[in-house]
Amino acid sequence: MTDARKLQGDKLSEAEAIERAKQGDAEAFEFLFGLHKRRVYSLCLRMTANTAEAEDLTQEAFLQLFRKIATFRGESAFSTWLHRMAVNVVLMQLRKKSLPVVPLEETLESEDEAPKKELGAPDPVLSGSIDRLRLQRAVDALPPGYRRIFVLHDVEGFEHNEIATMVGCSIGNSKSQLHKARMKLREALKTSRAEKATKP
Amino acid sequence: MNCAEFQKFLPELIDSDRSAEQESHLKSCPECSGLVADLNLISREAQQLQEFAEPSPRVWNSIEIVLRREGLIREPHLGPALVPPVRRSWTLAWLAPVAALALLAVGVLVYQREVHEQNVAQQPASSPVAHLSVPPGKTVNEDQQLLEAVGSRSPAMQAQYASDLQNVNAYIHDAEQSAQADPNDEEAQQIVMDAYEQRATVYEMALDRSLP
Repeated sequence: MTDARKLQGDKLSEAEAIERAKQGDAEAFEFLFGLHKRRVYSLCLRMTANTAEAEDLTQEAFLQLFRKIATFRGESAFSTWLHRMAVNVVLMQLRKKSLPVVPLEETLESEDEAPKKELGAPDPVLSGSIDRLRLQRAVDALPPGYRRIFVLHDVEGFEHNEIATMVGCSIGNSKSQLHKARMKLREALKTSRAEKATKP
Repeated sequence: MNCAEFQKFLPELIDSDRSAEQESHLKSCPECSGLVADLNLISREAQQLQEFAEPSPRVWNSIEIVLRREGLIREPHLGPALVPPVRRSWTLAWLAPVAALALLAVGVLVYQREVHEQNVAQQPASSPVAHLSVPPGKTVNEDQQLLEAVGSRSPAMQAQYASDLQNVNAYIHDAEQSAQADPNDEEAQQIVMDAYEQRATVYEMALDRSLP
């Protein structure tokens, strides 16, 4: 990517790169890709937990963006525009795979899978920080529906009304699934800490 | 309010204010306050997952191939135009003989390359020239036949597909070198397969264009 690095070394602004990309400048496209690839790929990876699928979706998201770049007028931030496009691409792919949005009354799959409510005895509290790798593994292990809502809300920062529109569920369902996702992560992280503590 | 009642409303308390009764329970209950603290911590720490991973180089390679094929990437002019732009009628008038000349030139180049390939084939296997631009098992003839098929139907796209093939063959070459360096690297093997798939895609697109 020597040409793109040259652009970066010349401190090309994103706005300049967008205008040059509209003219068909290959270096400008590559510069924009380099600027946003990690954010888009990470989103796709968090949602699918599959590197090959995430790369395909990353490719598709950028292609859709670049095909429409001539229509970008700068009303919103470019990154926001790309971000929403990436989310739509991922959600469309998940719909194709028939990932169901579980209705509110059916959010408890089974007693074994539902986060256990521990009432009465005090719970140990997680430490003040969480290892990023452990958290990532715990997120990857979430059921797909919980993972999707958790990634959209807590990682990507969408509000529940936005998630409800994108995913096609109610706001109440979105909040319920998010809560269950966090409870499952809490359980997984506590188990992981306990296992680590018992190892010699 | 007891713990069961408080925790029943926890999903609704996400992103919203707590009532006075709920706040009072939270202050007096170590279990519920510990639970809420843990859930808030998980939510905060989740943001550090935002930009963790990086895609492989094949992603950009694939994007670039498609952008070039769709004409979204246009080669820049090397300098100010030395001749004024021709009118459309002129362009159409001389396109046919120019296309014919281009095909003739390509044919000559192919013939010269075939002669060179035959000479190279007689060289030792370690010669770097033998495997430079065409994947093993493939010959220049296959690519050239494809380009001729495209050129016969759509001369304007022939150069585009020639560029696509050059890019994807270089990608295959790099991917195979990587895989050969570490035969146990499954990801490298997958990248090789992906590279061949891309080549197959270029062929598929080119043949679609060349069909009536």
